[in-house]
Amino acid sequence: MAKSGTLRRQLLAWLAGPLIVMWSISTMVDYDIAKRFVNFAYDRALLDAALDIGRQVKVLNGRIYVDLPEVAVKMLQTRESGKVFYLVTGPKNEYITGEPDLPQTPHPESGRTNYYDDEYLGRPVRVVTLQLPVETGKDRGYVTVQVVEDRAPRAEFAGLILLRMMLPQVALVLLAGILVWYAIGRGLVPLSVLRSEIESRSHRDLSALSEEQVPQEVRPLIRAMNGLLQRLSKTLAAQQRFIADAAHQLRTPMAGIKTQTELALRQAPPDESQATLRQLNTATEQTIRLINQLLSLARAEPAAERAHTGERVDLTELARDAAADWVPRALARQIDLGLDSTQAPATMEGDAFLLREMLNNLLDNAIRYTQTGGQVTVRVAVDIQNITLTVEDNGPGIPESERERVFERFYRVLGTGVEGCGLGLAIVHEIAQRHNAEVALGPRAGGSGTVIKVTFPLTP
Amino acid sequence: MRVLIVEDDPVLADGLTRSLRQADYAVDCVHDGGEADHVLATQSYDLVILDLGLPKLDGFEVLRRLRRRGSKVPVLMLTARDSLQDRVRGLDLGADDYLAKPFDLPELEARVRALVRRGQSGGSAALTHGALTLDVAGRRATLNGDPLDLSARELGVLEVLMMRSGRVVGKEQLAEQLYGWDEEVGANAIEVYVHRLRRKLEPVGVSIRTIRGLGYLLEKESNG
Repeated sequence: MAKSGTLRRQLLAWLAGPLIVMWSISTMVDYDIAKRFVNFAYDRALLDAALDIGRQVKVLNGRIYVDLPEVAVKMLQTRESGKVFYLVTGPKNEYITGEPDLPQTPHPESGRTNYYDDEYLGRPVRVVTLQLPVETGKDRGYVTVQVVEDRAPRAEFAGLILLRMMLPQVALVLLAGILVWYAIGRGLVPLSVLRSEIESRSHRDLSALSEEQVPQEVRPLIRAMNGLLQRLSKTLAAQQRFIADAAHQLRTPMAGIKTQTELALRQAPPDESQATLRQLNTATEQTIRLINQLLSLARAEPAAERAHTGERVDLTELARDAAADWVPRALARQIDLGLDSTQAPATMEGDAFLLREMLNNLLDNAIRYTQTGGQVTVRVAVDIQNITLTVEDNGPGIPESERERVFERFYRVLGTGVEGCGLGLAIVHEIAQRHNAEVALGPRAGGSGTVIKVTFPLTP
Repeated sequence: MRVLIVEDDPVLADGLTRSLRQADYAVDCVHDGGEADHVLATQSYDLVILDLGLPKLDGFEVLRRLRRRGSKVPVLMLTARDSLQDRVRGLDLGADDYLAKPFDLPELEARVRALVRRGQSGGSAALTHGALTLDVAGRRATLNGDPLDLSARELGVLEVLMMRSGRVVGKEQLAEQLYGWDEEVGANAIEVYVHRLRRKLEPVGVSIRTIRGLGYLLEKESNG
């Protein structure tokens, strides 16, 4: 997960940066808009207050005065958006009513309504000035109504609006993040499928990886890997061929040595030279066995070109033939070799040649390591799911500590006093794997001995 | 008895030659396919031991030319390859037997004897096992020349066991052999015949061993 995790984090970082910048800009714009609307609304309300005052400007006997009832003044002082201060001045800027200390309006007489920001009593304020034409007997001019309120409530309100607008945006950004995280995960599924496919592959499976369910971007990677796999299997196949060829080439000279040794053994007088020849003969036979086993191993390896694992074979028949072939050798060692199987055929898909090799190696081992007078039994059992091949002997058995290692190539249990090269069970293991079969090695129930069990799954 | 050995490996060729000469065969030996083809075209032999992997002309080709000339001489193939295809191809081309290298010398000698005998008698001969002789064509068995009292079915069982002496014969193989006389021969019937045979043969040192789950085996003379 580490690999796809960083990819995900990288992509998310790339998305989150611009998203935050954009969100900040949007917030600033939003705040500006909120402020404008709030100002607009508050200004209108302030203008209403100014108009209310303006309506009360009256002229009596050439004198301008404002007839502001007590109630109206109270109302102005207890507005929701804060206390409102006002000042009414005459055409010659003479004080009429209100707060005399309000700052002078900077706007000249024009008859217009003006909004502007100013400061009053040390606080930021909003000012509306209204200019109303008046006529006293002799003069014409404008009465200026100036209304002032604190700007703080506006900012507060704008902030509130901004907050309300931001919350859904925050939710949106978070949602986008989660969606992107999830989407990247989904996008990376083919990669993790590929990863688990590679992880679960056996080391002997060098077939090409499928390109089909993989996104376009990953295909070059798959192709490169397939190229490597192909080169690897070619190299392995060449190696297998070399071993097989070498083993074949060795057979003819070995046949020569063996024939000559046997011939000499017949003619030699029963003395030292006879003993030497017997040793030579044993060594020759051992070498021949090693060569044959190397050849079997080369054939059983996955890179080997022969693979007729699709044939229908009857394991009972194979076991019967193999056991019958080994009977003379078993009898020579006075070992009671027998078969225990049902009459029903144990038909499965497999490579008859390799299965026969497996049986040969199992029987060879069992007969080789079982003492004179011992017993070796081959069993084939069929149930719904499996075909089980068992080779059981009442020989000395394999110590528990050695049971894993005997499947390794060239590993030999020490102290058996038997000549061998340690490839037999490696071959059995290799051929079993080729057939998706499990090999288990255990002690014989009720006494010394070894049981090797090969379980072939029956594919429906 | 003239035997031709065609083998390019000098050590093996020498071993084979000397072994067969000791068994009183007249042995010629050639080392490549071309020479073998030439010799076989001009001289007659009772047996040819033919290696498949030969220089100049491979064993298959030598065999094909030999059979094309109409020769019926028995041929024993030798090969370092043990693939089934090679074996089938050789037998299809008219080889009579097959031996994979390396082999046991007694095994080769036994095959040679069998092939020479077959070549002489056309396949039907008397089978012998120690003091026991079975006249296959005459359908009677003798022990040191004295006739043995055996039924037809007992003779049938004995014939199969003697033909595969020292090797395991399955009950179904025996049943197949007896099918001609009996419509249906069960495993129990086979057991009965073997039991009777044993009773008659054991006193004279011929023993039929039961191999668990596999069948019966006529023990080799040396063992019995």
